[in-house]
Amino acid sequence: MEKVYLAVVLAPLIASIIAGLFGRQIGRSGAHWVTIIGVAIALAASLYAFYMHVFGGLSTFDGTVYTWIASDLFEFNIGFLVDNLTVMMMVVVTAVSLMVHIYTIGYMHDDPGYQRFFSYISLFTFSMLMLVMSNNLLQLFFGWEAVGLVSYLLIGFWYKRESAIFANLKAFLVNRVGDFGFLLGIAAILAYTDSLHYATVFERLPELADITVEYWPGVEWSLISVIAILLFIGAMGKSAQVPLHVWLPDSMEGPTPISALIHAATMVTAGIFMVARFSPLFELSDAALSFILVIGAVTAIFMGLLGIVQHDIKRVIAYSTLSQLGFMTAALGVSAYSPALFHLMTHAFFKALLFLAAGSVIIALHHEQDMRKMGGLAKKLPITFATFFIGALALIGFPGTSGFYSKESVIYAVAASELPGAEFAYWALFIGVFVTAFYTFRMLFLVFFGESRMDAHTASHAKESPKVVTVPLVLLAVPSLIIGFLVVEPMLFGAYFDDSIRVLATHGAMATLEDQFKGAWGMFLYGWTTPVVWMALAGVAGAAIMYLGMPNVLPPLFARVFAWPKRILEEGYGFDSFNNTVIAGGSRLLGRGLWQGADLRAIDGWLVNGTAAFVGYMARTWRLIQTGYLYHYAFVMILGLIGLMTWIVFIGA
Amino acid sequence: MSLYQILFYVFASVAVLAAIRVVTVKNPVHAALYLVLTFFSTALIWILMEAEFLGIVLLLVYVGAVMVLFLFVVMMLDVNIAPLREGFIRNLPVGVFVALVMIIELALILGPASFGLDIYPSPEPAPADAGNTLAIGQVLYTKFVYPFEIAAFILLVAIVAAIALAHRRRPGVHYQDIDAQVRVRAEDRVRIAELDADKTRRGDVAGDSKANQDKETS
Amino acid sequence: MTLASLNLQPVLPEIVLAAMACLILLVDPFLPKRGPTVSFVLSILTLIALFVITLVQMDDSVRMSFGDMVVNDPMADLMKLVVYVLVAAVFVISRTYLRQRGIDKGEYYMLGLFGVLGMMITISSNHLLLLYLGLELMSLALYAMTAFKRDDGRASEAAMKYFVLGALASGILLYGMSLLYGVTGNLMLTAIAETVAAGEDSMALKAAVVLIVVGAVFKMGIAPFHMWLPDVYEGAPTAVTLYLAAAPKVAALALVMRLLVDGMGPLFYDWQPMLIVVAMLSMAIGNVVAIAQTSFKRMLTYSTIGHVGFILLGVLAGTNEGYAAALFYTIAYAVMTIGGFGIILLLARQGFEAESMDDLKGLNDRSPVMAFVFLLLMFSMAGIPFTFGFWAKLAVLQSIVGVGLWWLATFAVVTAVIGAFYYLRAVKMVYFDKPEDTSPIQADVNVRGVLILSGASMLIFGLYPTGLTALTAGAFGL
Repeated sequence: MEKVYLAVVLAPLIASIIAGLFGRQIGRSGAHWVTIIGVAIALAASLYAFYMHVFGGLSTFDGTVYTWIASDLFEFNIGFLVDNLTVMMMVVVTAVSLMVHIYTIGYMHDDPGYQRFFSYISLFTFSMLMLVMSNNLLQLFFGWEAVGLVSYLLIGFWYKRESAIFANLKAFLVNRVGDFGFLLGIAAILAYTDSLHYATVFERLPELADITVEYWPGVEWSLISVIAILLFIGAMGKSAQVPLHVWLPDSMEGPTPISALIHAATMVTAGIFMVARFSPLFELSDAALSFILVIGAVTAIFMGLLGIVQHDIKRVIAYSTLSQLGFMTAALGVSAYSPALFHLMTHAFFKALLFLAAGSVIIALHHEQDMRKMGGLAKKLPITFATFFIGALALIGFPGTSGFYSKESVIYAVAASELPGAEFAYWALFIGVFVTAFYTFRMLFLVFFGESRMDAHTASHAKESPKVVTVPLVLLAVPSLIIGFLVVEPMLFGAYFDDSIRVLATHGAMATLEDQFKGAWGMFLYGWTTPVVWMALAGVAGAAIMYLGMPNVLPPLFARVFAWPKRILEEGYGFDSFNNTVIAGGSRLLGRGLWQGADLRAIDGWLVNGTAAFVGYMARTWRLIQTGYLYHYAFVMILGLIGLMTWIVFIGA
Repeated sequence: MSLYQILFYVFASVAVLAAIRVVTVKNPVHAALYLVLTFFSTALIWILMEAEFLGIVLLLVYVGAVMVLFLFVVMMLDVNIAPLREGFIRNLPVGVFVALVMIIELALILGPASFGLDIYPSPEPAPADAGNTLAIGQVLYTKFVYPFEIAAFILLVAIVAAIALAHRRRPGVHYQDIDAQVRVRAEDRVRIAELDADKTRRGDVAGDSKANQDKETS
Repeated sequence: MTLASLNLQPVLPEIVLAAMACLILLVDPFLPKRGPTVSFVLSILTLIALFVITLVQMDDSVRMSFGDMVVNDPMADLMKLVVYVLVAAVFVISRTYLRQRGIDKGEYYMLGLFGVLGMMITISSNHLLLLYLGLELMSLALYAMTAFKRDDGRASEAAMKYFVLGALASGILLYGMSLLYGVTGNLMLTAIAETVAAGEDSMALKAAVVLIVVGAVFKMGIAPFHMWLPDVYEGAPTAVTLYLAAAPKVAALALVMRLLVDGMGPLFYDWQPMLIVVAMLSMAIGNVVAIAQTSFKRMLTYSTIGHVGFILLGVLAGTNEGYAAALFYTIAYAVMTIGGFGIILLLARQGFEAESMDDLKGLNDRSPVMAFVFLLLMFSMAGIPFTFGFWAKLAVLQSIVGVGLWWLATFAVVTAVIGAFYYLRAVKMVYFDKPEDTSPIQADVNVRGVLILSGASMLIFGLYPTGLTALTAGAFGL
């Protein structure tokens, strides 16, 4: 099987190298063919691995491919850990990636950076696979940084746009904050367990449970909590949790396929995946779990609210992604790892679908993203509309769709939890459902219904996108609809994740859920009676009244009545201005202070130039000894002789 | 105190005093003569130590040859000593101090503690028929033949160096070249020049006469 | 004692050299006046012959001759081989320079060969007298060569200073030797070592050590007995400076090794602290004062002072590893220094001496190959990794760290860092400054060839130092 795993990882890498380095030679079609074939191989191999593990009874694979560094104390390996969790991630990543590859042919059709783009997304696929298939923290970190790098490159893909450059720099910097915590966490693990290998680390965890560390005198922290929170800070950066979420909306500057692949389906879920992978560690710290829960809930509700006031179609979906990531994180917080991963998977499909459908709209309108200039497109773009609609239903958790099963499970798990903060989280998510439905259908109505607000020229050209665009939409719409129904039972309440995830008996949310579970069909029926679904439907209704019923009356009225809250939402709660003025401004101030004061004056002026000046002074002074007079020279010699004689003979060495 | 010791101290003090005078007198000729006196006293001390041959050689070589050479040079060059002595007084205190330290240290090192008679008893006087020359000769050409040859090479190098530095062939100095005189032929000496009356050709004539001159001097 | 019992074979190289030097001395005056081509060729042939003889005779044994006065051990053989190569290289590189300045006379090669004879005698002597005579033979040749351009006031002044200070140092050395003889009653170095080891440490013995150390390190140019070095190197014609700076340092190392290690090894704890002090002083003065120099030639002389300080570190480690490192460093230094001063020859032409730092400017525009050679040389002198000089510094530092002198190694590294500044500044001038003189380089193939060889060896020994390391280690039975 090792060869299969290697094929999964290496096929996209090789394809990326070919497309990247020989893009000019192989041409445009060569570039997309080679990368699509590479990803297709990866998908096929992933499916085979999935089949072998899930149905073929293959046990967990944990092996080293090669040893990178070996020393007395530790060994750094490149290796794979393939279990049910991994194969699920592999299939999701390669499947979405393949769809995006195909879609890109249409979306990037006229772009001069065509080959470069394919090279990047293949490289991303490789990095993401390395991340999910890793069996140790070092390789995880490699994948973590590699996907971050590709994300950086792709957000700034149109590098001539000022805003794209700002956005990718922002993404890079914010992720550095998270990675700093992550790296500290990894370092702490290495320091206390002498290993980065998952299995070894988990084995040694019990030894760490009672260790406390004291960073400030008098304040003792549990080591496990410290490590868990540090690792989670890494996840917060990558999975865009408040307050490190600010980069994700801006990342929409990148091409839409990227938004679908990286900033919705895969990379941003790396943090969720990592926490789930480290469930044995997080389980040991209630403090960390509470922290995760609260952060997730806050993200879920407050980011969702921001979606309501956006005009850019992609930004709405971006805030929706943030909100859904908050749902997943909240689920992690209550030890409901499997619902979190389940939601991760369904979200990957329907959010990619939504993004790609939005992209299709954008193509049709010649790269127009402002919803105020859309409307009435349902007839012109039938396939796009249909798939978008399916995606929207899944997103709001309409009973029967995949999103229904995953989101319901998450909310019930939170409701069943007794962790501090669970109460708050439940209400936050509960309201979040309404908000989600509202902004989703607001978007839907603004884009596809009502009267057209386009100018005549655009309207006349608006037509359905080519096959390469619509086929991926359809292919993604299918799992968005049905996958929840199919897998909810084995995935959540079966033994699917038994090898990968460990939940302590004291964290009983999932156990409670299991007791109430009556099968996928039962859940569908029961769903109609739950307040959660009615909240969603209420959101849809609200949106319908406002944007279908009286689009010219109600929205402006609300805008006037709720001017202040609207303002706050439009400002994104002021995170950006805070970051720009206080953090960035403060850093710049500090930087200038250090530069002027510490660097120029103290280090350059004092230490560097000072040393140099001192040496120069010595050089000039000592040089004067060299007078050129013979008798001076002889005198120095005699002095040296007498000095040595006195020292050695009479004083003694 | 035996006569031997009295003589030693006399010669030794003369040597030291003369050496001091070498660096303090103003007249370089006097300084050279004081140096002769120093060598002389040293030679006498050597003779006292039964190294008659070395004593005589010192006299012959240094006093007889080297110092005479020195005197010649000093007289020929007529060195103006005044500028050389500038700073002598100014630097004297430092010099004296350093010298004193040196003397005290050497005295302590070389004193009876290290080289007293109890540590190094004086050797038996050599028998009357023991020849200095014979003793030196015996080792010089046997045991020390290699160093001896090397010493010869040092002298050779000194000669080569002296000639390389001092010997110069100055151009423009007239001297008789007998070889050239013997080999001379009539046609080399006289050339019949056809002279035009035309003034415009004067340049040629001048050039010819110059060429002739060159030939004569060469 | 018969001639056969003298065992002349070990001194065969010396005899051949002496005979050839005399032959050249006789042949030279009868040669056409156009230039001493024949003397030059004969000198080179002599050196090649010596190389072959020494190589054939070389083995791991210690061969004594002349009643144990002469010793031929692996160290001596290796040092002699190095000296031949260095001197041959200097002869080749100097020809054009000498001819352009009208001092291309047979005496240069003769004195050079006599100097080699002196070095060889010094290198293989086991006897105080022989050591002294060898040293004087070498020094006398060097004094004369310094003054070789006799109409040049600077050269004459340099020679004068060299001669007087050299005589002073010789006097000090001789005083020390006489004290040593007085205390031990012996002139044979090995016998002295035995006597010293058996006897007690007296004041006179210590004084002898001090005097001998002073006399010996003077020849290396160690501070504070270095004062002659900048004036002499700068004043002498560059071709002579090359000669002075390269091979005699090998002989000076031999002198120090023979006297301190062979002769006074048991007094290690008396001379080690002294060497520490003077080595530190050398490294500090050499590397610091070099910064203030505007003359490239003078900068190189100060760099020499720094380098010999480093060489001394290997000696004062007092281990065979240290001695091997010192020898390795000396070889590296000699090759580097030929390249360094060779650059001056490269830039010089008829009636122009390129001694100023400014003359280096923009060498890259004038000759990229030579600029690269220069870069390699400077990097090597600065001890930048994977050059010859780096391994030399590393070996020396390892040896002193090996005997626990961490602080000294730290000091050495600090001075080396200071030193790196002016080497790199020179490189910067070569590559980034505009040339003041844009005329093409006129140097002939001799100069270029030797320089390229020198530069290439920086790289070759930088990448494959093992061969030479093994040789130097073998010279000390490692």
